[in-house]
Amino acid sequence: MAHRHIRRNEFNCPFDYVQIDGLAVMKIIKHCYEERTNIDTPRGGILGLVIENRLEITNTFAFPFTKAGEESVDEEYTATMMMHMKKINQDYLHVGWYQACELGAFVTSEFVLAQHGYQDSIEESIVIIYDPVRTAKGFLTLKAYRLTPAALKLLADGNENTITPEFVKSLHLSYDKLFHEVPIMIRNSPLANALCCQLLEMKPERATQFLDLGTGSVLQNHMKFMLEKVDEVHQESYKMNKWQMQVSKQQQEKAKYIHQKNLENAARQTKGDPALPEEDLSKIFRPILPPTRLTPMLLSGQVDLASQQINAFCSQALAKLFLSESLAQTNCETSN
Amino acid sequence: MSKFYAQGSGSESSGSSSEDDDNEAPVPSKPIPAGKQTVYISDDDEEDSGKRVVRSAKEKRYEEMLGHVKKIKNFKKNNDMSNILDCFEDLIKAHQKALPVIVKEENGSTPLFYLKTLGQMENYVNQQWENKKNMSKINSKCLATLRQKLRKYNKDFEEELLKYRDNPELLDDDDDDLEEKQEARDESGSESEGEKKEKKLKKPSTKKPKDDNESDDSIDWGSDSDESSSSSDEDYADIRSKFLKKTTDKDDAKEKKKADRDKRMQRKKLAKDDDLDDGEGWSVVTGGAQVERPKMFPKDSEINTPAVIKKLAEITAIRGKKGTDRREQIDLLNELETIASAHALGPAVQVKIGFAIVAALFDYSLKVHELQKVQYWIKLIDKINELLNLAIAHKDMKIDENVPEDSEEMEKSPYRVRSCLMTVFERMDEEFLKVLKELDSHSFEYVERVQDERRICEMLERLLTYIISNHLAEDKGIMCRAYYKKIEHMYYKFDVRVLKKKRGEYNGETSVDEMQRLAGYIYAFDTTDRLRTRSILCHIYHHALHDNWFEARDLILMSHLQEVIQHSDPTTQIMYNRAMVQLGICAFRHESVLDSHNCLADLMMSGRVKELLAQGLMPQHRHDRSPEQEKIERSRQVPFHMQLSLDVIECVYLVSAMLIEVPYIAEHEFDAKRRPISKTFYHQLRTLEKQSLTGPAESMREHVVASARHMKKGDWRKCYNALVNEKMDRKVWHYFAIYEYTKDEKQFGVKEMLRRKIREESLRTYLFTYSNVYDSVSIPRLAEMYEMEFQQVHSVVAKMIINQELAASMDEPTKTVVLHRTEPTRLQCMLLQLSDKVNILRETSDRTFETKLQGGPGTMGPGSKGRQFNRMDWKNRRPNQPRGDHHNRGDRDHNRGGDRDHNRGDRNRGDREHNNRDRENQREVVAH
Repeated sequence: MAHRHIRRNEFNCPFDYVQIDGLAVMKIIKHCYEERTNIDTPRGGILGLVIENRLEITNTFAFPFTKAGEESVDEEYTATMMMHMKKINQDYLHVGWYQACELGAFVTSEFVLAQHGYQDSIEESIVIIYDPVRTAKGFLTLKAYRLTPAALKLLADGNENTITPEFVKSLHLSYDKLFHEVPIMIRNSPLANALCCQLLEMKPERATQFLDLGTGSVLQNHMKFMLEKVDEVHQESYKMNKWQMQVSKQQQEKAKYIHQKNLENAARQTKGDPALPEEDLSKIFRPILPPTRLTPMLLSGQVDLASQQINAFCSQALAKLFLSESLAQTNCETSN
Repeated sequence: MSKFYAQGSGSESSGSSSEDDDNEAPVPSKPIPAGKQTVYISDDDEEDSGKRVVRSAKEKRYEEMLGHVKKIKNFKKNNDMSNILDCFEDLIKAHQKALPVIVKEENGSTPLFYLKTLGQMENYVNQQWENKKNMSKINSKCLATLRQKLRKYNKDFEEELLKYRDNPELLDDDDDDLEEKQEARDESGSESEGEKKEKKLKKPSTKKPKDDNESDDSIDWGSDSDESSSSSDEDYADIRSKFLKKTTDKDDAKEKKKADRDKRMQRKKLAKDDDLDDGEGWSVVTGGAQVERPKMFPKDSEINTPAVIKKLAEITAIRGKKGTDRREQIDLLNELETIASAHALGPAVQVKIGFAIVAALFDYSLKVHELQKVQYWIKLIDKINELLNLAIAHKDMKIDENVPEDSEEMEKSPYRVRSCLMTVFERMDEEFLKVLKELDSHSFEYVERVQDERRICEMLERLLTYIISNHLAEDKGIMCRAYYKKIEHMYYKFDVRVLKKKRGEYNGETSVDEMQRLAGYIYAFDTTDRLRTRSILCHIYHHALHDNWFEARDLILMSHLQEVIQHSDPTTQIMYNRAMVQLGICAFRHESVLDSHNCLADLMMSGRVKELLAQGLMPQHRHDRSPEQEKIERSRQVPFHMQLSLDVIECVYLVSAMLIEVPYIAEHEFDAKRRPISKTFYHQLRTLEKQSLTGPAESMREHVVASARHMKKGDWRKCYNALVNEKMDRKVWHYFAIYEYTKDEKQFGVKEMLRRKIREESLRTYLFTYSNVYDSVSIPRLAEMYEMEFQQVHSVVAKMIINQELAASMDEPTKTVVLHRTEPTRLQCMLLQLSDKVNILRETSDRTFETKLQGGPGTMGPGSKGRQFNRMDWKNRRPNQPRGDHHNRGDRDHNRGGDRDHNRGDRNRGDREHNNRDRENQREVVAH
């Protein structure tokens, strides 16, 4: 419990780790696989319960696809689904949602706002990101994320325009502090474990897929993504820059204006005339609206995630390279 | 109106004036161009009486009232209550106005006809009141109002009315009398009848307008025009009455009458058309114009040259004054001309008058309604043709604008007339364009008018011969102008003989030769820069049109027009644009794709091709354009038959852009500094590539872009097929069909050119795109792929190697290209690009932080507070920072460090990645 308290203090998270059933994982994978041709990313709800210091996820259900402009998650649908689950004596508490996504591209404003909505209404809500591309390559990728309290505060208004640089600053928030990751543990029933063991025995001995050296295309994909995102970040940064220039220019003008007015007032005073009437400065110099900081933050987050992935991928690839090199050498030697 | 009444009702007027006025009544003094002089001449045995009448104020008032009375009568017939009510009110007003006069003239006794009307009205209203139920709602309402008003009003005249009521026969009698006479008049229409009636003083006169009204114009006789005219009458009446007194001239009656007759004939013909002008005509005529309307010659006076000339001067003196009725001017001049020709005053006078008429026609065309333009245009061209004939026929006549006015010689040979045929012709040409612009360019009328072009050309030809055979040939200015006109009419016309001559099928003079001659003269003798510039542009256009690419290009290069053209007037700039377009298309035909692109780029980039070529206005610019501006722009428009096909222009531009851009894109695929050569094309390509689903190409643009996509893959056959197919044939390529020909079983033409060019550029694209997967490429294989000669492929590849576009070398013995593979791999290219981008990002971010350090925005406002806060923040954070970032000043502002932080991280990470990747690539190579 003490442990839990510490956690709570840092991220205000009611659990330490997520325990997900094999069934739920399989259901997510199946759903995402079946909908992979769809342009829209597949999404679904997850059902579970917080027990002690973990969130147990035992079941999921898919969200139907919605057309653009509609409410992305139908409340009624979710409620009915939960009702049915209750009837068949399953876990029926809605504790979050999942989404399929490639690379780090999930960090969009839509995503952030959705998760904010979840965490707002259900405190223990979590979002699980599943990467079908990497899974297809043999690396099951499931990640659980939650918004940090600061991020929640940031999004509290639900209006992007209020996210000014000052506001972001006052929250001590940066792109890498929007989310915190919660470790995931996959739990299988003993029966399933037994099956796995059996399957392991049946598996052919030589597994070549781990030495797959075709890293070029993966890296290229990553690079393409990075290029795009860095470009976008640059654009945002440029916008910010421009805004700064405008504001500083305005301030200069303002200062000049005040100075002139003061001079004139002084001159009038010596003459004995009444001072000029006070004018509303904010009307003369309308404050220029700062660009929203949410977009660059999210973009930066994406770049960050992508870089992390590339790092992970490269370390793996390097290991494989060394391995295959030495293997090749031994092969040569033995054949010789 | 008023004029008519003045004469008609005036007791002093002599009888026969009625005839005139009658005819004139509906459109009292509206002048009508007299076209038929013959009628006019045969008419001179008419009695001489149509004299001007001096009218008193009384008459004027009376006639006004009578007009209303008459109207009321009319409306009574149709039981139109609302109109009766209106007229009644007008009548009351008129009476009010007339009151002082009445008091003065008739000792205060209300005029008889007025009382009569009131009586009749009362009877009528009472009568109608009984069958009020049968009336429409509005009518019955009006009737009620009328009844009330009438009762109230009639109280004032109670006594007098009573007198007449007691004696109703008087009223009835009048009516009968009236109708009777009317009938008689309608039947015979003879002057004697009219005369009789005239003498009947006021009463009979009441019916006369009615008569006119019914017989002539009753439908068009709207109450609006009536009222307006009557009101204007009031305004001008005094002036007029004064004038009339002064100018009354019994002797001119005959002429006047003739004119009126003539007008009547004319009017009947033009009645419908003229309605549009009526309102205008009315007010103007009753105003100033009437005041100064000159009269024709006295009947008995001798008509000789000086008299006619004097008259002419008199007429033309009015020209341009405010309120002048231009149409009347034309009439008068026509009359004068007829008189002059009838008295055989010699060609000079004829010419002089002719010029005056033409000038008047020009004046008139300014105001004339669009629909009538054509009519006047025909008149104009006929007249000028006549003038030209006269000028040519009389060799002893000197028509020159340099003849001083006082030394003009009209009476005997050699004649000297001050005028300039060339100027007149130029104006006519302008007028011609205007007429064309008024017409719908797809209508049959347009085609009909365009046929006049031939006539104009033929006239110009005659004018030229006239000028050359004449003393005028010495005047270089005029010669230049004449030649320029000819050039202008020639430059956009295509002469097939030129192409035939080039192929050796024709030997003889072509339009290009003639153009050369004419333009040469202008280049040599023109003193006004404008004419020369324009003829150069025409010349270029003409050359380009006839496929003389090199001549056209040399001409434009030598003229240095590109540098000065923006200082010239808009029309010249439009011509420049046209010439450039034609030049670009010509370059395209000659395989000079780059030149073609350059010629068209300026025009196409602007996105306002239509406007720049004066072929229509862009709707989206309408809002920031005042009506005057729009009018001016409209007037600059090029007539339809001279317009260039925008589709062809755009297609040529896009295709040439494609041929340049696609290999360029392939070459610089990963170049961060790559700039699109043609933004328009690049944009098109981008939009298509972004589409998730691309259907078959429909529009010309889609075709081009589709073909560009094929070219990107180096597939020349598909590229060619996407560009040259039936659809595109119909849209664009048929415009080039005329330039295609076959010689020695080899085809020449745009399609052949495209085929060749596409192969070449596809080959280049292919080599750029796929060179990284080859170690070596066999040239014969490439030749086979691209259906090109070995030599051609060889030269293309060699060129690429020499220009350092391709890192390769030729291996002659094996006929292969050995690629050096020095190019970075795709991944490496991407990495380089990424590092470039990250660098740019870093720079931007640095700038952001620099601004902030200076107390800019983002630091909680200006002043020291924000900075202090930052510093504290920085101090607090410092120990927590595990990695020191020395050059990162901005880091003290950690809260805003969102993008800053990541940026730094990115850079580091990027570098690290870069290293990783490089190492990895080395491995890869090793592994290979």
